[in-house]
Amino acid sequence: MSGTQKYPGLPLLPPPFAAQQPPLAKVVEEKCIACNRCLPVCFFDALRIEERPGHALGRSAVVTAAHCTGCGLCFETCPVDAFVWVPDMSSSPSRPGRRI
Amino acid sequence: MLTTSFLGMELRSPVIVASGPASHDVNQISLAERHGAGAVVLKTACSDKYQHMRFWPRPRYKLLDWDKQIAGRSTQFSLYSYEQGYSGSLEDYWEFIRVCKRHAGIPIVGSIFADEAGDWAAMAAEVEMAGADAIELDISSPHRPGSLEFDTTFVAAMRAVVGRVHIPVLAKLAPGTNVLMQAEAAEQAGAHAVTLCNRLQGIDVDIESQRPILHGYYAGIGGPWAKYYTMRHIAEAYRTVHIPISGTGGAITGEDVVKYILVGASTVQVLSAILINGWETIARMNEEITGYLQRKGVDRLESIRGQAVASMTPPDNIVRWSGEPLDGTRNIWKEPGP
Repeated sequence: MSGTQKYPGLPLLPPPFAAQQPPLAKVVEEKCIACNRCLPVCFFDALRIEERPGHALGRSAVVTAAHCTGCGLCFETCPVDAFVWVPDMSSSPSRPGRRI
Repeated sequence: MLTTSFLGMELRSPVIVASGPASHDVNQISLAERHGAGAVVLKTACSDKYQHMRFWPRPRYKLLDWDKQIAGRSTQFSLYSYEQGYSGSLEDYWEFIRVCKRHAGIPIVGSIFADEAGDWAAMAAEVEMAGADAIELDISSPHRPGSLEFDTTFVAAMRAVVGRVHIPVLAKLAPGTNVLMQAEAAEQAGAHAVTLCNRLQGIDVDIESQRPILHGYYAGIGGPWAKYYTMRHIAEAYRTVHIPISGTGGAITGEDVVKYILVGASTVQVLSAILINGWETIARMNEEITGYLQRKGVDRLESIRGQAVASMTPPDNIVRWSGEPLDGTRNIWKEPGP
């Protein structure tokens, strides 16, 4: 893939569990540098910075799972690859193409 | 100075928020208004037949070739997108329009997708009843399901909608070789404006897994590079059709908006720029357009519309000079050296 690759951003393929449970973004707080890059791209108010007394920087980005639509843009903005996919175990799958 | 007459509406700016993830909920409408948008085209609602489009793949977006500039400074990216439709029911959508109209001080344009003409017309009537100021028919989404043909289905749909509602009707067309023919067909079918153009379909491949990236199907692809063919389509349509043009695709600065208007657009719809560079993009565009008009001593933006088209040169009239001399040294074969 061409283009500037300062950091890889979103993995090119969805996580392996994506067909079973909806993927949610989650911040690996030990990696987060609280740089705020991810906050403006989230159109669903799913990201905030929270105080973390034990964290090296005292704060970290945090995902509000109930608001996350799994769009992937926060992954793209993270310069330290602190985002991972986790399955939303509280939700039933909504597969593309599913008729309801 | 930026006031733009468009389909009977007086817009305070030619910059409109395009249908998509920046026009999916009511709070985004107030953000659009606060940042100076002239109007908002709401996220597209799909007919019940296509209600699977109300569910969204995860992830939905990959930024390719991104310059990774933040704080509104990005100028290069390709947005690779599996964007789908409005996520609620049609009843939710009519209520969405009603709430937007109750609170917004800028025009609200509904956007719909269906297949059979009857569904298009029925949905359009609901959009009108809910209070929308205009309606855009999204007949060209790169994500649209089915194998619907423009010549048959969509022309019939446009006629049905135009015959049913009293609000202005915009037809949003796909880029490509047929766009001019489709713009003419839209005008003949009674559409009041055309939106040029939707995103293209594209594909990227992960060479490690040897699979298409993300969900294994073509994605909608757009970015600042789209401005060049978009402007060409606007220019061609401006010369040919007699209805207003809402340009969209690739505009990320106020200068881009000015260019779109110089090739004939009345308004310019933006989305990717807001997604990547933030809502402040709209205010920045407005400032840049105003700065340009002041520098050029122009009172009204409308007075420059189509200026660049008016001074286009027919290809036969492009001045040509002799090419490479055929008896020159570069036309005498030389064996390559060691």
